[in-house]
Amino acid sequence: MEKAMKKVRIGSGSAFWGDMLDPAVELAKKGEVSYIGFDHLAELTLAIMQRMRAKDPSKGYIQDIIPWMKAILPISSRNGIKLITNAGGANPEGAAGEVTEIARDLGLAGMKMGIVTGDDIFPRLDEIRAKGWKFKNLDTGEEDIDRIRDRVVAANAYIGADEIRGCLAEGAEVVITGRVSDNALYVGPLMHEFGWNYSDEYWDRIGSAVTVGHIIECAACVTGGISNMWKVSKDPWRIGFPIAEVYENGEAIITKTEGSGGIVNQWTVKEHLVYEIMDPANYLMPDGIADFTSLKLEEIGKDRVKVTNMSGKPRPENLKVCIGYRDGFIGEGHIFFPWPDALAKAQWSQNLVRERFKMLGLEAEELRIDLIGVNVLHGEVAPLPEYDMNEVGLRIVAKTKTREMADMVRRAATHLWTAGPVGASFGVPFAPRPVISLWPTLVPREEVKTQYFIKEV
Amino acid sequence: MKVKARLNELSFARSGDKGDVSNIGLLAKSREFYEILEKEVTPTRVKNHFGSMVKGEVNIYPMPNIDALELTLSRALGGGATRTLRLDQTGKSMGQALLRMEIEVDEEILKKAKLIEEEIYNRYRNQE
Repeated sequence: MEKAMKKVRIGSGSAFWGDMLDPAVELAKKGEVSYIGFDHLAELTLAIMQRMRAKDPSKGYIQDIIPWMKAILPISSRNGIKLITNAGGANPEGAAGEVTEIARDLGLAGMKMGIVTGDDIFPRLDEIRAKGWKFKNLDTGEEDIDRIRDRVVAANAYIGADEIRGCLAEGAEVVITGRVSDNALYVGPLMHEFGWNYSDEYWDRIGSAVTVGHIIECAACVTGGISNMWKVSKDPWRIGFPIAEVYENGEAIITKTEGSGGIVNQWTVKEHLVYEIMDPANYLMPDGIADFTSLKLEEIGKDRVKVTNMSGKPRPENLKVCIGYRDGFIGEGHIFFPWPDALAKAQWSQNLVRERFKMLGLEAEELRIDLIGVNVLHGEVAPLPEYDMNEVGLRIVAKTKTREMADMVRRAATHLWTAGPVGASFGVPFAPRPVISLWPTLVPREEVKTQYFIKEV
Repeated sequence: MKVKARLNELSFARSGDKGDVSNIGLLAKSREFYEILEKEVTPTRVKNHFGSMVKGEVNIYPMPNIDALELTLSRALGGGATRTLRLDQTGKSMGQALLRMEIEVDEEILKKAKLIEEEIYNRYRNQE
């Protein structure tokens, strides 16, 4: 690569709500990055955040933003690193309030924050439905949302990087969003730095940004975490977070914080390229469609993989929307059986529980009794062992309409404590849990009114 | 002579979820193995392998640029992570379940597979 070519180093500081903080701090200290993206939202998170906000209007954001900002802001402000986080959840303004106080305590008066809103379309569902848009379910094919409308608790569009770019252009050092696509946390800074925009001239470049964002957005998942390279990952207890060094021509080098644990090689990058992508030639993101079937990978040194020939297509007309709705309860219980005849004891108990449910009149939409240590993960694909196993667990779980029925399931497991075979060992009892089901769907882009504003500390 | 090989011997896998769709990436351990996988790993065989665990259709997308196949298994995760009764709510173990699938290969391929896997790990062991 030519020396004169502009490059940007961008890192990933979190893959989920509850992720490790220490590698993010290490990344800010030693990563020599200009930007760090933080993803804290999973599909269910917004429903949880909406519930928090309903109880207390000042809440509804990811509380982790407090310890995270306390640990990272002192370093990022010194090193000139900009932070982009979706910890705003259902209340980005509320999160910004917290960050303001933290920044003041740190003596960062004058720091600019960008706040992105507009992903929450819950208040506008009926208005959009009234125009004839039925929110067809992408998983089940069900045409109309009406059946579940009165049980909906959250509806958020996965918005793109437009507003993040706006915040950065106005000098924001911290950008706080709600449900932007995880990917946009990375696409935003890259488009801003390189002046790429949503036009025919730049779809391949945006394709690069989407691809690079995808590769690093799950943090440790590309640096040796959940990897086939686990056997050769260095000091995995201090795994490093990933960094993409992105060039103006759309090429990139994937690496990680210098001196950190873990591993980056062609296999860890490939593993992440194929991770949760559906059709690899059409990886749909709000900012563009990336084609993962043209790119080339090359190991150019220890923990350094070069990615070239990335490509893209224009962004889709519609945005993905995740609608959460109340959908009954799950009751669950576990119990464990020791040698001798552990498997036989578990199977005998499986039958006991089924018969008991019949007798008690359990009303379950779905009942599942798995053998822990045998088939709880691989189901019928796993063969039954032919030796006398050390121990086997029973996992009893059912989905029910009511909390009472879910409780019957939980209790049935506890009854094996006294009615089960000899040696039956009880674990910790579970409480019945309410279920929020998801209704994945689309909404026309023009129905989602995104905006940003800047707040000064 | 043709012998049975598990996909585990020719490939690595990584899996996750998109709603109720299990996404599995199958990474061939060599170019030669990719060509075998591309022919032998078919939607019908994969669907049969998983039996009642996969209620919808199986699609397979080739990625010859990185010697990988992307598989999508619809209606395979009990309705999706937030409402499923599966312990593995997001289907992280589905890729490993796929690696149990058997295909027929030449005996020499099986011998090669062992060497290739060793080579891969050796390259990164104590890398400076």
